[in-house]
Amino acid sequence: MTNQDQPPQWGKKKGPASPEEFIAAFLKKLKESFEGGGSKFGGGNGNPSGGDGVPPGLGGALSKILIVVVALVVVNALSASFYTIEPGERGVVMRLGKFQKITQSGLNFKVPLLDTLYKVDVETVRKEEFGFRTRVPGQKTVYDKRGYQTESLMLTGDKNVIDVAWIVQYKVRDPLKFLIKVADPRQAVRDVSEKAIRQVVGNQDFDYALQNREVIETRTTLDLQKTLDIYESGIKIVTVKLQDVNPPEAVKPAFNEVNEADQDMKRLVNEAEETYNKVIPKAKGSAKQTIEEAYGYAIERTNLAKGEVARFLNILKEYSGAKEVTRRRMYLETMEKILPEVDSIYMLDESQKSILPFFDISKSGKQGMPVK
Amino acid sequence: MNSILRFFVIGIVLALIVTIWDGFFILPEGQQAVVTQFGAPVGNPVVDAGLHLKTPFVQDVALFSKKIMIWDGDPNQIPTKDKTFVYIDVTARWRISDALRFLQAVNNEIRAQTILDDIIDSSARDLVNKNDLVEIIRSSDWVPGESSKDAELEDKITLGRDKMEDMILKTASQATPKYGIELVDVMFKRVNYIEKVSLKVYQRMISERKRIAAEKRSFGEGQKAEILGKVQRELKLVTSEATQKAQQIRGEADAEATKIYADAYSKDPEFYAFMKTLESYETTFGKNTKLVISSDSEFYKYINKLK
Repeated sequence: MTNQDQPPQWGKKKGPASPEEFIAAFLKKLKESFEGGGSKFGGGNGNPSGGDGVPPGLGGALSKILIVVVALVVVNALSASFYTIEPGERGVVMRLGKFQKITQSGLNFKVPLLDTLYKVDVETVRKEEFGFRTRVPGQKTVYDKRGYQTESLMLTGDKNVIDVAWIVQYKVRDPLKFLIKVADPRQAVRDVSEKAIRQVVGNQDFDYALQNREVIETRTTLDLQKTLDIYESGIKIVTVKLQDVNPPEAVKPAFNEVNEADQDMKRLVNEAEETYNKVIPKAKGSAKQTIEEAYGYAIERTNLAKGEVARFLNILKEYSGAKEVTRRRMYLETMEKILPEVDSIYMLDESQKSILPFFDISKSGKQGMPVK
Repeated sequence: MNSILRFFVIGIVLALIVTIWDGFFILPEGQQAVVTQFGAPVGNPVVDAGLHLKTPFVQDVALFSKKIMIWDGDPNQIPTKDKTFVYIDVTARWRISDALRFLQAVNNEIRAQTILDDIIDSSARDLVNKNDLVEIIRSSDWVPGESSKDAELEDKITLGRDKMEDMILKTASQATPKYGIELVDVMFKRVNYIEKVSLKVYQRMISERKRIAAEKRSFGEGQKAEILGKVQRELKLVTSEATQKAQQIRGEADAEATKIYADAYSKDPEFYAFMKTLESYETTFGKNTKLVISSDSEFYKYINKLK
């Protein structure tokens, strides 16, 4: 920036009228008084005002006007000497360009003409958005993401591309440094943020970056603050917050497919486990059943055996007494039981050497003639 | 006469005010000044803020910023050593370190930007051109394996982006002092693939994801098969164990029963055989039986006798 003009530029001054203006006003007033005086006193005889003849009453009028002017200047200076600093603001006072003091919120005094005041908001958290812009803030904020790809696309350590939108919140920690150290603090925050987050993301693999937002946020905050401190920017980073961390638009479907595959994988395992749960507990129950049945068989078997044996022994005891009779009786009893049950009975005479010649025994009992 | 004198006095006072006024200049904070006399610089640049003296009318003051300023280069399309075309957006912070030299060599900030364009762009281009892409992506303190898994197959970092930035800064800083400019830092603001390359990269990323998806599905199938196999194994195990145990139990019971029978029946085997035979007649003869009996038999022998 060059400024060859005289007197030097006074910057963004918020104080009283600058000396140039003051002098200009003063000269104007003076001129007016001359012209006014000329027309008042010299207008009657047609002489042009100013120049040769000065009317006698001019001196008195001039001094009156001067008094008014001085009074105005004094009032103006006094009113400009007091200023209010709102809560959350700091006033930075420069005396003749040099830093004088920082004033707190409330009513403050400064020397008119010599002191210049700059108000700096130190409480408001300022916000920078990257990869998107808030279009309509409010309860349902509308974001605009299109057209900011150059900001949001970055490379990961494994040479992939990732789409990151984030915000940086900062406030002024040192109002003096904020004013005089960096030409465009806002742009500095933006540039360094972009650099810092790319450096952090560049050190991470795609998958890691996708899942470790906090790590990115923390490291970016540290790097960003460090660099801004080197600039002595007087800025304090409040937070770095990632909004969206996504694969690039073109790759998203493939990522969804991975998620689907993941679900499929879990589903298949669940299905298999369902089968397991269906079959195995049941089989275990059946196995117990088999064993229990075997126990049942065993007991039955031995008990039957014992019973049968007891019966046999009892019969045997009686049989021993009358063997022949008992045998015959048992035989006949058995025959009694059997014969009514059987299909047909053929009686064969011992004297006949062969079976009856015309009798076809292969035929069923109903066709055959019962021999009786 | 009196009024003419008054005029004269006022004129002198005004001239005095202007002279005194022009004999001072105010240097605000964050700025520096070079005092020039008919265009030629006089003395050292003034860097301390405050009120300063100068010769009225003869000397002029040129003000320059003392603040850190931004230089932002045009995004450049540069091929890296491994033949990848990338857009590189380099930005730098600079300040006027020597206002006198700056005034003589550059004169204003807009020209300074142009000079920095030439200096930084060329050193950045050279360095990017001589290095692989990963060098620009990763930091010098990048540790393989920490947040990246494929450590051993990945290319090693020799420089990393911070060192490259430092190198650009060093190279460029050799050229800037003669303009009265000091570079504070140089940084790669953005590194992105050019569109053609990014399409390829996207394709690669898609294929990678497809690979992972296939792997997951296949893994799922495998898991399922394994579990189903386990089902069969456990099923067979449980069933056969149960059968084995059941047979054993039955066998023992059979053995015991056999012993009981044998103990008892051996007391009169002949009678046992007789009795058992009769019993088995009862169970084996039935509706499906055709009985041919000799008339000599015990049962019918009396029929014959009656004949």
